[in-house]
Amino acid sequence: MKQKFRITLAQISCVQGAKAVNLKRIEEVVVKAKKLSSDIVIFPELSLTGYVVRDQIYELAETIPGPSTNIIENLARKTKTHIVFGMPELSEKTQATIYNSAILTGPNGFIGRYRKMHLPTHSVFEEKRYFRPGYQVAAFNTELGKIGLIICYDIFFPEISRLTRLEGSQLIICISASPGIRRAFFETLISARAIENTAFLAYVNLVGIEDGLQFWGGSRLVGPQGKVIAKAKYDEEDLVTCEIDYADIRSAETFVPTLKDLRPELFEELRKSAERL
Amino acid sequence: MELTSSVLDIDLREVETQITRFIREYFEKTGSEGIVLGLSGGIDSCTIATLSAKAIGGRRVLGLMLPERETYREDDVKHAQTIVRKFKLKSRLCDITPVLEAFYGSIPIFEPSEKVSKGNIKARTRMIYIYYYANKSNLLVCGSSDKSETMMGYFTKWGDVAADIYPIMDLYKTQVQRLAQHMGVPEEIIMKPPSPALWPGQTAERELGIKYETLDLILYGLEHFMTGKEIAEQLIVEEELVNEIKLKWLSAEHKRRMLLTTKLAYRTVGADFRLKRG
Repeated sequence: MKQKFRITLAQISCVQGAKAVNLKRIEEVVVKAKKLSSDIVIFPELSLTGYVVRDQIYELAETIPGPSTNIIENLARKTKTHIVFGMPELSEKTQATIYNSAILTGPNGFIGRYRKMHLPTHSVFEEKRYFRPGYQVAAFNTELGKIGLIICYDIFFPEISRLTRLEGSQLIICISASPGIRRAFFETLISARAIENTAFLAYVNLVGIEDGLQFWGGSRLVGPQGKVIAKAKYDEEDLVTCEIDYADIRSAETFVPTLKDLRPELFEELRKSAERL
Repeated sequence: MELTSSVLDIDLREVETQITRFIREYFEKTGSEGIVLGLSGGIDSCTIATLSAKAIGGRRVLGLMLPERETYREDDVKHAQTIVRKFKLKSRLCDITPVLEAFYGSIPIFEPSEKVSKGNIKARTRMIYIYYYANKSNLLVCGSSDKSETMMGYFTKWGDVAADIYPIMDLYKTQVQRLAQHMGVPEEIIMKPPSPALWPGQTAERELGIKYETLDLILYGLEHFMTGKEIAEQLIVEEELVNEIKLKWLSAEHKRRMLLTTKLAYRTVGADFRLKRG
């Protein structure tokens, strides 16, 4: 397992509903990132289809494995790169049950998927209309250490990042499609999730405008002590490549030892209180 | 929440950036040759004209001045021309009076004293001119409606509100005033009492019965789920006034959300088809 590696935050805009165009863009970016010796390239939430596709989601969703994951897997094999991207995942057991999923593939093929657990259905968001929520957090063993996946609105719920961290994730990846009006919230929460879990957090947001929603970009890699290691531009496409050194986690864990100081008995209280809310 | 004028503060530079990006993106996505808008000389249309010029360049923006005899004010045309010169727009002036008179003369039940019905003919006629230019020259129609008027239903259905995009529809009138100032719209245009120019002497504030400074705060409170009582107490106005405004806002939804049918089939236009915009 590598202790040090290079990571690319691929802050792209997507063409709504055009999978072939978006796949081509993903391929171009991965090839470019490989030239910068990147080991892992991360794309935004629903980067296969664009975020606002509404009823078209039923024709766009694919199973895993499926045609699009096959293309991405081949790309990962060919370039010997890890790739994280987002797509509407069609359940293999039904014909119209769809998850908002993040997929992690590596040089040896498919590694794992995470199905978004918190689906925003308020304000301009209507995810529960289309998606079934996931029921499991994700933490995958890879050549790049243990990697956890979360998606966008999940970051407002510290338990998801915490769970994946407790499963051993050293790098938490949050793929996102966040409109500009929420930028201040995300900028705070991204750092908070990294600090409270003493883990690296890579946040990759969409840019561009889809049906009037302007996605703000601002993708970043935050270190385990909250330091912003690298940051992409606001509001426009950008590729940022930087380095992760897991050795930094050790000093963070001793400096503010949140994991050592966890109080598991509180979690049961939390559950009870949440049920009574 | 404390309901003072500061709740309407906006980061003007950021808002300008977001709106011009929105206009540019939609202009490019639709493959249009330019933008056309009705340029009345009022604050909303002048602000939209400046934002459009900033987004895609003035030479690709056509400001249509569409005066008519009854509501003609020399100042309005002068103000529109000031914007045209200052932001280097293209412009056309068409007197719509003959068309209006043809309508008045050919509608068997036309009653000149019914000023709303008559005034709406003017707004809808202007829309026809704007869309003619849009169709003929492949232009995108940029609407000038702001949030205050749109929430209050203070517009003509299928008339002045007809457009392809509405860049300032999420800004209250007093916010548009600040944006206009920031964009370099001349002060005399900003200070002029807004009017839809449907009949002589008409002003928006007189007709709405409230100053925009107060109206915008009431609407802001309603937008943020405050009760009528809370809003009235904070602004030191009658609760009845707030409730009247709330009623106007709610009862005008039919003007904002169009294409109503009754559900008969599997998926229904206007009800449960949810498609991305083309």
